[in-house]
Amino acid sequence: MIRRWASIGARRLSDALFAVMPTIPYARPETRACGGLAVEARDLTAGPSPDAPDAFGRISFEIPCGCRAALIGPNGSGKSTLLRVLAGLAPRRTGEIRVAGEAPRLGRRRVAYLAQRPRLTDPFPLRLRRLVQMGTYAHHGWFEECRHGEETVDRALAQLALTELADRPVGSLSGGQLQRGLIARAVVQGAEVLLLDEPFAALDRASRDVIEAFLFEQGHGFTVLMATHDPADLPRFDRLLELRAGALTTRLACDGHDHRHA
Amino acid sequence: MLEPLLEPLAEPFFARALLAVALGGVTCACLGAYVVLRRMAFVSTALTHSILPGVVGASLLGFSPYLGALAAALVTAAGAAWLAARRGASEDSAVGVMLSVMFAAGVALMQQANSWRDFAGLLFGSVVAVGADDLRVIGVTAAVVLLGLRLLHKELELASFDEEYATLLGARPALLRVVLLALVALGAVSCVRLVGALLTTALFVIPAATGVLLGRTVPQVMAWGVACALAGGVGGLYLSYHFPAVPSGAGIVLCCALPYLAARLFAPRR
Repeated sequence: MIRRWASIGARRLSDALFAVMPTIPYARPETRACGGLAVEARDLTAGPSPDAPDAFGRISFEIPCGCRAALIGPNGSGKSTLLRVLAGLAPRRTGEIRVAGEAPRLGRRRVAYLAQRPRLTDPFPLRLRRLVQMGTYAHHGWFEECRHGEETVDRALAQLALTELADRPVGSLSGGQLQRGLIARAVVQGAEVLLLDEPFAALDRASRDVIEAFLFEQGHGFTVLMATHDPADLPRFDRLLELRAGALTTRLACDGHDHRHA
Repeated sequence: MLEPLLEPLAEPFFARALLAVALGGVTCACLGAYVVLRRMAFVSTALTHSILPGVVGASLLGFSPYLGALAAALVTAAGAAWLAARRGASEDSAVGVMLSVMFAAGVALMQQANSWRDFAGLLFGSVVAVGADDLRVIGVTAAVVLLGLRLLHKELELASFDEEYATLLGARPALLRVVLLALVALGAVSCVRLVGALLTTALFVIPAATGVLLGRTVPQVMAWGVACALAGGVGGLYLSYHFPAVPSGAGIVLCCALPYLAARLFAPRR
């Protein structure tokens, strides 16, 4: 009883507090819509760190909206660098890029990036639901509470078969369950372009099936660019981008339709 | 039967000390949650130790000791950030350098001031000597820190858990780190009267470490931390009142360690 009153009181107090604060977005809003091409790169050069040599030079490619593209190539060929540049986490040295209609920058809702090994603080007192809810922050800004978006979170949890795990501490989840949670967070964020860096590396079969079903079979209208090593994955993709010795070759025509057997 | 509990309350100095310990405990326990979760315990130690040259320097020059302490804490934080910014330098050693340099400067200044005794309270705490002015400083600091933590809760939680995602959303984790360090400096400066510059870290680390063992969300960690700090603070004051051989600062820290030990022994495993 006392606890309930205290929590209601605390909530009223913090509502009043937030009501007097100005709301400042984290980044300037996105203006242009994705016009036919989700990702387009011309003469792109980049390296893994500021003083490292170029990982690839003057590459050009396109990924139409709704296309599932695989990024393949040997270790050290620059797959991760390319994804980080597209996400806005690393600078480019030459060339032009458009991701969902805009040059890469931080603070974008339409673009989600998932690192190969996400560096999460562990242990950290956080439930899975809260982790997925963090995706809604993309629609908010400083000095704003996000209490709505519950349905979106529930739907994303269900889509990735996480409903039963929603109240589990993040630290108690398996690698695959956590990976599904991070993808659910990208969905809640409202991302249209998913940049995934080897999401299947060291994943259990069950989680892998759930993620594959989500990305490939349900037709969610995402554009996917996924770095992968596993040749067994390749028949599922509409387009293959191969990075080798600093050059990129595109295989398979993808116009957003099913070209899996082309 | 309640005599040992009620008797000290009649003394004005004891009532002031209780209030100071309660306010300071809440401030440090809430900040401590992030200090512990982000593994910033060493940085907080450096900030609390650098209060020494600040206060001694201020008393030599005739400034307010609180301003001196705050300036010294900011110098430490900025110095550590500058030393660590060079490629190949580790933040850990940068903090270690600043901590020892600032503390040595403090010792040298104490020699200048020619009175070690005056500063014993600074090193080891003198909560029973807390006056109305000190209480005001502690109260204002508590309000500022709690307000800041509440307003930035979702950002601090996000940036502490997944810094890269915070970067991707544009939520400026580097800026948040600076804000958090500033709040820790503020909290440390206001609480130095309670347990002394040498032990203030304990107020950040022990209650929050207890909270981490018991809480499953960040607010729960803070709540358990506050409970631990209050129990330790009040217990420590009574302990040193009834056993004058135990100094109040040491008593508070030792009493904070009891709930931690209990939580370590009896908290359910996850």
